[in-house]
Amino acid sequence: MRLEVFLLIMGMALVTYIPRMLPAVFLHKLKFGPRFEKFLKLIPYTAMSALVFPGIFTVDPANWYIGVVGGVAAVLLAWNKLPLALTVLGSVLAVFLTYLIV
Amino acid sequence: MTKGQQYLAGFKEGLAVLFGFIPVGIAYAIVARQAGLTPIETVLMSATGFAGASQMMVAGMYAQGASVAAAIVATFILNLRHLIMSTCVFDRMKNAPLKLKLVAAFGITDESFAMFTTQGEKHSNVYFFLGLITATYSSWVVGTVIGVVASAFLPDMLSASMGIALYAMFLALLTPGVKQNLRLVILVALTAVLNALLSKIIAPSWSLIISTIACAMLGTFFVDLDGKEGESNAA
Repeated sequence: MRLEVFLLIMGMALVTYIPRMLPAVFLHKLKFGPRFEKFLKLIPYTAMSALVFPGIFTVDPANWYIGVVGGVAAVLLAWNKLPLALTVLGSVLAVFLTYLIV
Repeated sequence: MTKGQQYLAGFKEGLAVLFGFIPVGIAYAIVARQAGLTPIETVLMSATGFAGASQMMVAGMYAQGASVAAAIVATFILNLRHLIMSTCVFDRMKNAPLKLKLVAAFGITDESFAMFTTQGEKHSNVYFFLGLITATYSSWVVGTVIGVVASAFLPDMLSASMGIALYAMFLALLTPGVKQNLRLVILVALTAVLNALLSKIIAPSWSLIISTIACAMLGTFFVDLDGKEGESNAA
């Protein structure tokens, strides 16, 4: 393996681990107020929303509706309490069928 | 539940990500191989970094002849969001032994964060999380290997369809929480709009961080979560 690539990979591993690790080491020493605890409980919702939007509309850069079909399928299946893996599979299937039809 | 049962439950939950990581692994493997990384280097980056988006970016930068230092700085910035996600994850397992938390930290990704923080109280412990990341980590390495080996053979239409998988997973995890909470729906919509607008002006990695934090702060003023949050509001 080339040294340059090895350094790149190791450096990347390090700077990826640091932000993941800092809260593990320091968090238990801090005491948060109720508002901050609530803020932390809301983060999953806002983070997931930002992870999905607007990226989902360009999952197929040429056809925005592909993301819409897959997204609506996922929400409908999850709404009806399907397990996570089946919901994901159902969404992939919906997109696959759309490609077949369109 | 015993520690072992928690670990197994987490592992099962984490397997859902396999469908999502195969297409991302394939996409990454294609970029990495085109950038001139060998198969071993391509897989090693997945095994040590465990960060799909950064790996894709680094491979792209390497192809364009960027310096090692520039690629590492860019990775750091792109992964700063994990600082927030890690805070949420470890807030749910404050009393776990430090050794286990240091292992758990390696597995914090967008996906494991999303799956863990949407679990109920019952699964808010380090053993469940370790099981979860065993599944997501294996899926990511396997996805990369499949990408290296099979990217040439997989039908285009199938790999294109699988591109929706991670989005579907995040939406599936969001849905039960927002189902009966209109204010939470409004907050999610606000975040989506803010991120869509911001990412046109600034780098998407910063836009994601800023809209996540700003909207969660805003949410503390008008969203009521079930259970004890509601009580502390009343008090």
